[in-house]
Amino acid sequence: MRTTWAVVFCTLILASGLVGNCLAVGTLVVALEAEPTSLDPHQLTDYNSVRAAAALFETLTQFKPGTTEIMPGLAESWALSDDGLTYTFHLREGVFFHDGTTFTADDVKFNFERQTDPNHPYYNTGVFGYADFTLGMIDTIDVVDDYTLVLHLKYTFAPFLRNMAMIAAAMISPESLEEYGADIVVHPVGTGPFQFREWQPGIKLVLDRNLTYWGEPATLDTLIFRPIINPQSRLAALETGEVDFMVNPPPEDIERLRNDPNFDVVAKLGQHTWWIVLNCQVPPFDNKLVRQAVHYAVDKKAIVDGILRNTGEVAVNPLPTNVWSYTEDVKIYDYNPQKARDLLAQAGYPNGFEVEFWVPQTGSGMQQPVEMAIAIQAYLAAVGVTANIQTWEWGTYLDKVFGPPAGELPAMHEMSWIMDNGDPDNFLYILLSGEQWPLNGFNESFYKNEEVDRLLREARVELDADKRLPLYEEAQKLICEDSPWIWVDHAYETFVVRAGIQGFVFQPTQGILRFERVTLK
Amino acid sequence: MITYLIRRLFWLVPVLVGVTFLVFLTMYLAPGDPVKIMLGPRANAETLERVRAELGLDRPLPVQYFSWISRVMTGDWGRSIQLRRQVFPIVTSRFQSTALLGFSALLLASLGGIGAGIAAVFKRQTGWDSLFTFLAIVGFSIPVFWLGLILQLVFGVRLGWLPTSGMVSSVGGGGVGDMLVHLILPVLALSTEPLALIARMTRSSMLEVIQEDYIKAARSKGLTETMVLLKHALRNAFVPILTVIGMQLGFVFAGSVFVEAIFSWPGIGNLIVNGILARDFPIVQGSILLIALSYVLINLIVDMSYAYVNPSLRYD
Repeated sequence: MRTTWAVVFCTLILASGLVGNCLAVGTLVVALEAEPTSLDPHQLTDYNSVRAAAALFETLTQFKPGTTEIMPGLAESWALSDDGLTYTFHLREGVFFHDGTTFTADDVKFNFERQTDPNHPYYNTGVFGYADFTLGMIDTIDVVDDYTLVLHLKYTFAPFLRNMAMIAAAMISPESLEEYGADIVVHPVGTGPFQFREWQPGIKLVLDRNLTYWGEPATLDTLIFRPIINPQSRLAALETGEVDFMVNPPPEDIERLRNDPNFDVVAKLGQHTWWIVLNCQVPPFDNKLVRQAVHYAVDKKAIVDGILRNTGEVAVNPLPTNVWSYTEDVKIYDYNPQKARDLLAQAGYPNGFEVEFWVPQTGSGMQQPVEMAIAIQAYLAAVGVTANIQTWEWGTYLDKVFGPPAGELPAMHEMSWIMDNGDPDNFLYILLSGEQWPLNGFNESFYKNEEVDRLLREARVELDADKRLPLYEEAQKLICEDSPWIWVDHAYETFVVRAGIQGFVFQPTQGILRFERVTLK
Repeated sequence: MITYLIRRLFWLVPVLVGVTFLVFLTMYLAPGDPVKIMLGPRANAETLERVRAELGLDRPLPVQYFSWISRVMTGDWGRSIQLRRQVFPIVTSRFQSTALLGFSALLLASLGGIGAGIAAVFKRQTGWDSLFTFLAIVGFSIPVFWLGLILQLVFGVRLGWLPTSGMVSSVGGGGVGDMLVHLILPVLALSTEPLALIARMTRSSMLEVIQEDYIKAARSKGLTETMVLLKHALRNAFVPILTVIGMQLGFVFAGSVFVEAIFSWPGIGNLIVNGILARDFPIVQGSILLIALSYVLINLIVDMSYAYVNPSLRYD
């Protein structure tokens, strides 16, 4: 009888929620900017979903913590044929999905073909925006035995092992797909250090330590993600102890938080660039001198200090500073309005000109698009260029700028990019090769330089890093000389954590956070 | 009464069809492509086309609308474009959270508003009356998002009395007590404006009624002022008050968008905003349908209750 009363008493206390954080031993609560849309790693396109899914799922290769270097993941080792077209992966034995099934080579084939083969029985259980981008170079997949897998590529592709570490190449339990079908988005079953417990929509997503994990088990018992959209509310929840970790604090509070012994502010450089697209096919920006002129006219440092409050660093190159092959041995556009005026005069525009300038109101990776646009508009006005700003809601903006030919786009518009796979190809080829004009790719400025195209094409199929390096360095020189964009800054990702929390890792690609080694004090 | 009820319920159908069609039309006419937003820039043109066809977004507008509405009739609310999940469980669970917040706020606003209104009438033409009037004007002039942030800062961060966000505690939690504690600040923020309005309406409606002859008669009978006001005046002043309360329901749903964003309340307001930004037609349509339905039904209940409050208002 006494036991019964004790149970009732404890239940009441728990139910009342009054003890809340007393239970928080080994639990980390992370405040995200929004709720994950889905937990199917093959269907993710936003930061919040990727951040949650990264704790649940794993890939054949993975990034060394905090870097873009490749190390073994679910594949222990691999070999590449001499012609660069055939990868043989040797998979790790003794890996189990969270539902208890064993991970084998058949599962890899299943996971890749689910996304790329329209005849696959589970192809219709989702839409895969990243599939072609991540796996499109794979021609056929041969399962040799349970732990040996051979991938034949359509063409040699230098960043391939990095693509194999992207979240879209993650392994879902095929049995779970059979069980849940399209509802797999809320029933994630992977092999990662954490496994799914429950998801209360709009409230919280709860993950537990995976006790059968093949590697070193996670230090945390429980990892909880909570969506808190308003930055001030996110901060309030951190200050009251409702959460332990927050992403993206309000910029105006960062200085105060740095001086507060209760919190640690961690700012890490992601692989991100924010830029103004200059329309290279249409006057006046079809003239290199004019593009250089407007680039000299903008005071990037003042924008980073004044508007971004140092949540980014000034860009001297379209490539983020922490990407392999980055060089500063390029033409650098330091703020110089006099030089801008001289170049404009030389190009035949002594009195400047008037252009359209499209700006989104918000947007993923767009930082403070409107404030930055207004500053740039003023800098351009100072050298005689009138830029007429037109703002758009983000969804409308995406529709407006992706797709139409150069002639229908304005002279200037804003854009940003966040690294997918840690390889310079993902910035330089995708964004600046003449082969990547929309709709083929993402070269929004319709920039074309035959020599740059040749260098970037060679660099993406050359497998020897020593030979790739000079190709990328030369390409960066030519691109900077041509100035197809005004590259403004590379953003920091800022996190605030309760003091004493250590061991979390920020991956510069896809904004991934890793919590499996987190310790609490 | 029954005929009236049947007639009202019958008119529900065209109202709901009209509302959802207007929303559908607006979403359709708004620029922006749900598939581009969903798949992100890495998707190629081929994938975009294929997904558009899979979701039926390449069909003409009337076909899309009728296919949606006929599926809704059979209980299939479709699958969210952005969340890739069945719409019905999502919108109903979000709607419950908003309803909890909204009805709690409306209840507080009604009780508090009527109470404050009556108090002002008792103390009419005194300093107290002016103070109530002043507070009421402040009350319905304060923007709800500002009030929300201030409440959060004062009672959550500074004083540490109440949680600042969410519907339950991060760890553990989930019990009734836990939920009530989380409900306090959002309800305070959301109820302030309707409370002020209901107080004003109660005061002016009662002041009008107490000019009537039957009130003079009641007083001359020797009844106490309390008896006169509460028993004789209030009941007759109640019809306009009830109308205002019914109308505040719309405000509560609209205001909950801000309150939900500030307090991370897992309600339908947030869902609709995200749905609109992602051009997620099925989510927006489903949510609006549910809200329109509840709004119409609540107002029907309000209309029916006039008859109870004032028997001279009969429906036939």
